[in-house]
Amino acid sequence: MTQTDALSALRFPTQPEDILRRRRSLRKELLGQPNLVTTRIAILGGSTTTELKSILELFLLLNGLQPTFYESGYNRYAEDVLFENPDLWSFKPDVVFIHTTWHNVSQFPDLMEAEKDVELRVAKEMARFESLWTKIHETFGALIIQNNFDLPNLRPLGNLEAFEASGRVSFLLRLNSQFAAYARTHSRFLINDILYLSAKVGLDEWHSQTYWYSFHMAVSPIGTVALAQNVAGIVKAAYGKSKKCLVLDLDNTLWGGVVGDDGVENLILGRDHPVGEAFADFQRYVKNLQRRGVILAVCSKNDIENAREGFSHPDSVLKLEDFSAFKANWNPKPENIREIATQLNIGLDSIVFLDDNPAERSLVADQLPEVAVPAVGSDVSRFAEALEYERYFEVGKIVQDDLNRSAYYSSNTQRSTHQASFRDYNEFLNSLEMTAEIAPFSGLYLERITQLINKTNQFNLTTKRYTSAEVESIAGDSGALTLYGRLSDRFGDNGLVSVLIGRVRNETVELDLWLMSCRVLGREMELAMFDVLIEQCQARRINMIVGVYIPSKKNSMVAGHYAGLGFTRSSESNTVQEKWQFNVPQRYSTRTRHIRVTGKLIPTVSNA
Amino acid sequence: MTENQKSKSRKEFLVEMDDILGLSAGTLRGDENLEELENWDSTALISLIVLAETSNNVHISPEQVVGCSTVADLLRLAQVDGSST
Repeated sequence: MTQTDALSALRFPTQPEDILRRRRSLRKELLGQPNLVTTRIAILGGSTTTELKSILELFLLLNGLQPTFYESGYNRYAEDVLFENPDLWSFKPDVVFIHTTWHNVSQFPDLMEAEKDVELRVAKEMARFESLWTKIHETFGALIIQNNFDLPNLRPLGNLEAFEASGRVSFLLRLNSQFAAYARTHSRFLINDILYLSAKVGLDEWHSQTYWYSFHMAVSPIGTVALAQNVAGIVKAAYGKSKKCLVLDLDNTLWGGVVGDDGVENLILGRDHPVGEAFADFQRYVKNLQRRGVILAVCSKNDIENAREGFSHPDSVLKLEDFSAFKANWNPKPENIREIATQLNIGLDSIVFLDDNPAERSLVADQLPEVAVPAVGSDVSRFAEALEYERYFEVGKIVQDDLNRSAYYSSNTQRSTHQASFRDYNEFLNSLEMTAEIAPFSGLYLERITQLINKTNQFNLTTKRYTSAEVESIAGDSGALTLYGRLSDRFGDNGLVSVLIGRVRNETVELDLWLMSCRVLGREMELAMFDVLIEQCQARRINMIVGVYIPSKKNSMVAGHYAGLGFTRSSESNTVQEKWQFNVPQRYSTRTRHIRVTGKLIPTVSNA
Repeated sequence: MTENQKSKSRKEFLVEMDDILGLSAGTLRGDENLEELENWDSTALISLIVLAETSNNVHISPEQVVGCSTVADLLRLAQVDGSST
């Protein structure tokens, strides 16, 4: 998205009071953005939520999401669910945000209450919340975002609050631990960590007696800005709008000094120098991002040898192998970033560019408006803060494919080298010894399927988005035909890379969604998916496949997909969507010549 | 607010109130009745209290704001320079 001066109020570094003051004009400007994705959010409040709703809307719009809200009455968060408020029931939320705080604990322990009684009280409180969560999941299948507990700003027991069983601080921390355990074992349930947020904002700023007694706002307006931004980050991640790749400058960004001029031995990096320690810590932060699936790339104005040598510094936490793309030359940075996106097969809108040089930042922001360019300043000790503030890399849950991502991109470099040794492309494909697991949706993969559905733009026939609740519901729907595809080869596992969803009516299946990660373009994975689709249709006595193509700005690469597979264009096509038909043959020869489909046993489901 | 920060002038404060109410800068003059302002609601009221706190270091209560009937009353409450004359 283009960052206008007005919207910069919502970008790092912000002044919360500016956001509060300018919310009307910000909202108006944000509503003018193209391609907003709609979402239905129920805010169930244990306190007044009007302010929260107003600021949350801004941060959601900033992330390309246009919310419609349901707001419970004051402190009716439990009643609305347990007594089935018809307004909430007809609203059918995609996301339920339960905004409770320490004020909503039903009963704190009595002074000097015995340990076992306190345990019992924790269990009782937990059961009360669990009954809400279960009912919401069973009724709406919505994503639940639940606050954990902040701490009261007053401590009648003083420091005893923290360690006496009956202390309120001790009690709230036990509850938080129980909430966290629930989040670890339940899908579509995420914690909004207000224990952290309130500490970051500062408890005196977070709680304000004026706003509590006058408006029953449990969180002050300033705290509400931090809260809303955090919730928006979680929702954004659920919709697959988080970034994938961090592109880094080198000199004065990953180390102090200019490696080409100063030499590796004179770089400011490591514990011997206060600023050097800050650079090493920033590298450590970046390394942690990489470990959990963020792709790293270098974009630096340097000779390639000098740039590479910088990572041989003994205190460099990051090593050359941590980077999936490395551009060090004297070309303009926007040009290099474009090449990085092409090399990694990701969109420019998946990239965050971090550079200490304001002129380079400005050039990239101007020429590549899709790339996120945080105003990090030139102080390395604030770089990580800027990345955190924007919640660029927020994830709902870390799935196995996230952990494998760096290994994939490294093995992809090996694939490219390997490919260069073949003159014939078919020979190359054969040599990859590819195997695919293609099967109907399985519980194990639902998180990854949702992630892929919500972030794939290019090889995506309809660009339809589904929430995790919808994916789970489709997985169990006998009227749906679903397939996921995983692909591995001699260099490693490419992970879950393709998803297909069809709606079965009588003897026809209409394909609502067919997408594939661009990582595996040109590998015949789409043919392998088609082969299994035909197999499924034959088993389910489906004799007609209707393919749908909805053109978007980004999916022109699949404009000829159905024609290429031998579909014929249907007369139902119009300017918004094309429909293509394919008669399922009784005898069919598989089309992929290079992938061995090992798919799990594909159950035959009756259409009845 | 630090000692070095200067309180906002009447003109600056009015422009910030324009922002709060979604009006173009320079719209408010000070003599408007609050009940005639379309966007004067609880969120505007809260934003005004925050503005007075952060800009002028003046703590005002919602009850005090509710007791105001004109923009000029609000300026006096927020101790904006020149508002008491």
